[in-house]
Amino acid sequence: MKLRIAFSFATLALLPRAASAGNFGVEAQGGYFAMSATKSAKAVFDGSSGGATFGGALRYVNVIRKGIFIAVGARTFSKSGQRVFVATPTGPVARLGFPLEARITPIFGTVGYRFFEGRAFVPYLGAGGGVTKYHETSEVTGDIREENRSRGSFHVLAGVEYGKGMFRVGAEGLYSSVPDSLGVGGVSKVYNEKDLGGFSVLGKLVVSFGR
Amino acid sequence: MSRISRFLLLLLAPAAFCVVWTLRISHAGTPPSRPVFVATDHGTYAALAVPPRGSSRAGGLIVAFRPAVEERDIERALRQAGVREGRRGGYGTRYLVNVAEDVAPARALERLRSMDEVDYAEVNGLVHKDAAQTFTPNDPRYNIQWNFRMVGAERTWGIQKGSPTVAVAVLDTGIAFEDYADPRTGQQFRKALDWEGTVFLPGHDFVNDDDHANDDEGHGTHVASTVAQATNNNRSFAGLAFNCALMPVKVLDRDGFGTFFDVAEAIDYAANFTQNGQHPVKVINLSLGGDGSSEDVRRAVDRAFAAGVVIVAAAGNDGKGTIEFPAALSGVMAVGAVDARKERAYYSNFGPQLSVVAPGGDCGRNDSQNVFGADCVWQQGMNPDLVAIGRYDSFVSLGQDGTSTATPHVAAAAALLISQGITDPGAVRAALEQTAERLGGAPAGGRNDSFGSGLIAPAKALAGLGLNQGPND
Repeated sequence: MKLRIAFSFATLALLPRAASAGNFGVEAQGGYFAMSATKSAKAVFDGSSGGATFGGALRYVNVIRKGIFIAVGARTFSKSGQRVFVATPTGPVARLGFPLEARITPIFGTVGYRFFEGRAFVPYLGAGGGVTKYHETSEVTGDIREENRSRGSFHVLAGVEYGKGMFRVGAEGLYSSVPDSLGVGGVSKVYNEKDLGGFSVLGKLVVSFGR
Repeated sequence: MSRISRFLLLLLAPAAFCVVWTLRISHAGTPPSRPVFVATDHGTYAALAVPPRGSSRAGGLIVAFRPAVEERDIERALRQAGVREGRRGGYGTRYLVNVAEDVAPARALERLRSMDEVDYAEVNGLVHKDAAQTFTPNDPRYNIQWNFRMVGAERTWGIQKGSPTVAVAVLDTGIAFEDYADPRTGQQFRKALDWEGTVFLPGHDFVNDDDHANDDEGHGTHVASTVAQATNNNRSFAGLAFNCALMPVKVLDRDGFGTFFDVAEAIDYAANFTQNGQHPVKVINLSLGGDGSSEDVRRAVDRAFAAGVVIVAAAGNDGKGTIEFPAALSGVMAVGAVDARKERAYYSNFGPQLSVVAPGGDCGRNDSQNVFGADCVWQQGMNPDLVAIGRYDSFVSLGQDGTSTATPHVAAAAALLISQGITDPGAVRAALEQTAERLGGAPAGGRNDSFGSGLIAPAKALAGLGLNQGPND
């Protein structure tokens, strides 16, 4: 993993020389993530299926031709709840009081197109994929149970960015899917929900380098 | 892109990733052992691990010196750091030291770390056993209760010991729950000796139609003791759901017989019993059964189930492939018996309606090698020799076997699940069945007619489910 990240930095650092019109940017992202596995999430997270998410990304705009961008980044979402028991998909949720924490960390790459590049107001679309890491830990009176898994993921996104010069702000809507990452056991198996993805609404602060 | 821009980029880019990775690390760590923040004389704050109360071994600083450092330099360095006392470890030049009272530990640590002679210095933190909590009662005859060990009772009690707001109604020959002189017969009933602290709800005697559901046969007292005999009181045996309440309901006479009508009446009585605006009876134990069937009983079972009551019943003791009534009803959990080898007990009925099995014992064997010499289910009980001559005031350690003795294990487990928050009777059944230990070659998640879904494992059932973690993960 370290080698891959280092390689990404090296690649990105070298690119501007080949495309003088391009520019780098660093994004800080924060917003709300709502899981697709709504029933499972609501069961263990006391009625809520979403929460705060944040992360960051590196991007390079005007790859190959004007408006095309690539980005790599990562976000994290973690939420606390409790272990439950659900017998059937329509049955009641029994909350057992044993603390549980789940963390979802998507590491992604995106390719997209920015409309009206060069103007202050820039809408954009993108799609990409990556790896989503999942960690779940819970404790039943001293018995600590942990689960770690990673699965391939893909996403599509749309957003707008505003600003000129070095600092910009933006908003983005993103849908992600992580097939077969849930439903192995637990309530997600009862509800037959198999996807760790979901919708994210993100705000962005961008520091852009170059023209 | 300018040089300055590139320079900034190289600085900020890793930072963007570090946000994510740093958070990940902070979440992934094991919980700290009660950190406390101590003000140092620099006005900054240092986190030191503090031993929990009662621990006398933790605390102090660990200091390791480089190999070539001589003893006199070590002493000088420790003195300069404000060390009051210490002892050397058995290997290398490692010391466990305590600093003088007027020196802040964080300051001493800082000084030690700044010294060339010191290889490393750190707080002598604590480690703790990372083990599931268990509870072992002090009742002297608990060690004979092989049946409780078989169902993982100690781990179960580490999670849940039951709630007095959850009651198990024992529909049986009654329970020796009170001192009572029957004015009609002149018989003296005595409360069994090991009910210390046990909560009894007002029951009913449907055989004699009064409110004194005392035991004149002995069966019901033994069954009730498996559910909630007083536990950890340094006396006699333990009960599996010992903090739960009991309701004595007499439906079987002194010969052990009762009628469908009385059983139906008793089910309705228990399910509808109200105390402080609540319906405390959440489980009905039926260590009884017979051939035939009754629409009256079936409807009473359905009403109780709809009211949120779990009903468990004995599969029968004929060793045949037919589950007795009322255990065979869909609204009832039919309970079979296993012996101490986890084999189907020779007497235990079996069939497609069998839900789970529990220890019912086999008094003709001693695979558990207990000192009483028999794999019975042992509890407090009424002295059978005296009961036979109409005396109900003497109690002994009593061993019994049968699906009657297996059934209260399941009733108790159900009461514990309800105490934990799984209150829907269908969910209680599902939790017990899904987490049962598969026996007789049944596949994971499957069942067979000899063992149903398997041997109950209440600790697993109590643990419930995570988002993506099953009960057996």
